[in-house]
Amino acid sequence: MSSIQRVREWLAGFLFPAESDEWLAVLRVGLGLQVASYTLSSRGDWLELFARRGGGLVNRELTEAILSLQSPLIPRLGWLVFIGSHFGLSEPIILWSAWTCLLCAGFCLLLGFFCRPAAVIAWFLHLCAVKSEDLLSYGMDNFTTIGLFYLMLSPLPDHFALDAHIRRFRPKNPHLLGFFLRVLQLHVCVIYFFGGITKCMGIGWWNGNSIWRALTSPPYNLVSPDVLITCKYLLPFLGIFICTVETGYPFFIWPKETRLIWLTCIIGMHIVIGLTMGLYLFSLITIILNLAAFGPRWFLARPSQFALKKATGDKANESDC
Amino acid sequence: MLQNLGGTPRHKHVYVACLVLHFVLIFLVSWDETLSVIVQGDTILPRSWDSSLRYADAMAAAALGQQLTTLNPVRQGITAYTHLTGIDTGYGFFAPSVSISHKLVFEVRYADGRVEHELPRVGGAATGVRVPLLLDNIARTRSELLRRTMLKMMAFSIWQEHRDASVIRAVFGFVKLPSIADFERGKEESYEFLFAYDFRFSPPAEPLMP
Repeated sequence: MSSIQRVREWLAGFLFPAESDEWLAVLRVGLGLQVASYTLSSRGDWLELFARRGGGLVNRELTEAILSLQSPLIPRLGWLVFIGSHFGLSEPIILWSAWTCLLCAGFCLLLGFFCRPAAVIAWFLHLCAVKSEDLLSYGMDNFTTIGLFYLMLSPLPDHFALDAHIRRFRPKNPHLLGFFLRVLQLHVCVIYFFGGITKCMGIGWWNGNSIWRALTSPPYNLVSPDVLITCKYLLPFLGIFICTVETGYPFFIWPKETRLIWLTCIIGMHIVIGLTMGLYLFSLITIILNLAAFGPRWFLARPSQFALKKATGDKANESDC
Repeated sequence: MLQNLGGTPRHKHVYVACLVLHFVLIFLVSWDETLSVIVQGDTILPRSWDSSLRYADAMAAAALGQQLTTLNPVRQGITAYTHLTGIDTGYGFFAPSVSISHKLVFEVRYADGRVEHELPRVGGAATGVRVPLLLDNIARTRSELLRRTMLKMMAFSIWQEHRDASVIRAVFGFVKLPSIADFERGKEESYEFLFAYDFRFSPPAEPLMP
């Protein structure tokens, strides 16, 4: 066998491993929770953020005009408002309908009810909302879009979903499940690698200044500086720890020996970020992506056995027939 | 195509091609953003690397079509795809250093000389964490007109609650946070002025009665 053939076989084995659908269940439930939380938490500002005369921060039309300059193909709530106006529906009705649909899609994902339509609707409406407030969007919005995009394309439903129980469950191709898991895993690795390497370039992450500034900058200053100063000698170590965990993620998350340590460290880091900076939704989505990508192998004693056996067993039955 | 059972998927090559294209874009966007923040300085890299980093940054931007005209369909297609998939920004959060905190204060001025102060208001905490991002965008924008328009919109929402005010002045600045050593010496945060705009609003004219 030539070396090229060997590389091709290794690549095929790496990109299309036989996997069960537990990771997909984690991603679906997690994103359902994230979408529902995002929708409920933005309820108080929904009209102010998106109505033409919302009287809130920045007018939706301005954001969408800037977006149009980048590309007219980027989804936005203005499209829905435009379509609705042809049917005589007012802007608030359209906006609240979008909010309700997004919330329902989140709950459907949580339960696994109409998984694929729910994933597509959640991705589209969430994207519309996020892009229509592009001047206020941050990493959490992008991570949610990334997760929903992969979820929408993945072989849904998983065997934990309500869909699998109320309809005839057709087991998915385990290699296809493996492919989409690999895409998610690789993407999470890229995220941490670039996040870590960029932090390593800043002197502030080596002497603790960046941790200090991050935790004392309003509105993320939930912890009093008087409390922070008591552990000032810990701050440089925390900065170096974050740089190490993030930059080392793509190297140490794959080996079985270090996966548990790295996953625990990264999830711990996000829990601390959420609690000390008030970035709860950001922490939630990062934990979801990590757990979906690398979690099932860790928290399930015998990963992948049920669905894999079911998939291969059903396939054997089909070929017997 | 997504649902076929059995061994490796039938259209394996299509999946691999899509994956390669997708990850090329992820790498380019991440690389572009990482380099663009690095070339702004304030890093541990030697200054002599600046020209090479700028060149690499320009290459990444060119590969993403950023040097084409904004109406170019290739550029618009790449931009739309990156937005649709959530890969339109890099991942250098709080890196290489934590950026300065901007602050916006509205001075509500009345005809009798009274002055009240207001901050941008939002309904919930989830939107509250987004306000600094908006302020960063306002500070970053190079268009004077756009900056003024954004501030005017925010000032308008303040005026709606103070309709008898004669002028709403938007005062934009940044907060200078003390370092650890300064804080220990008792130094507190200070406010640095950047720019200010005055806005005058008038209620819509009452319709004339016949």
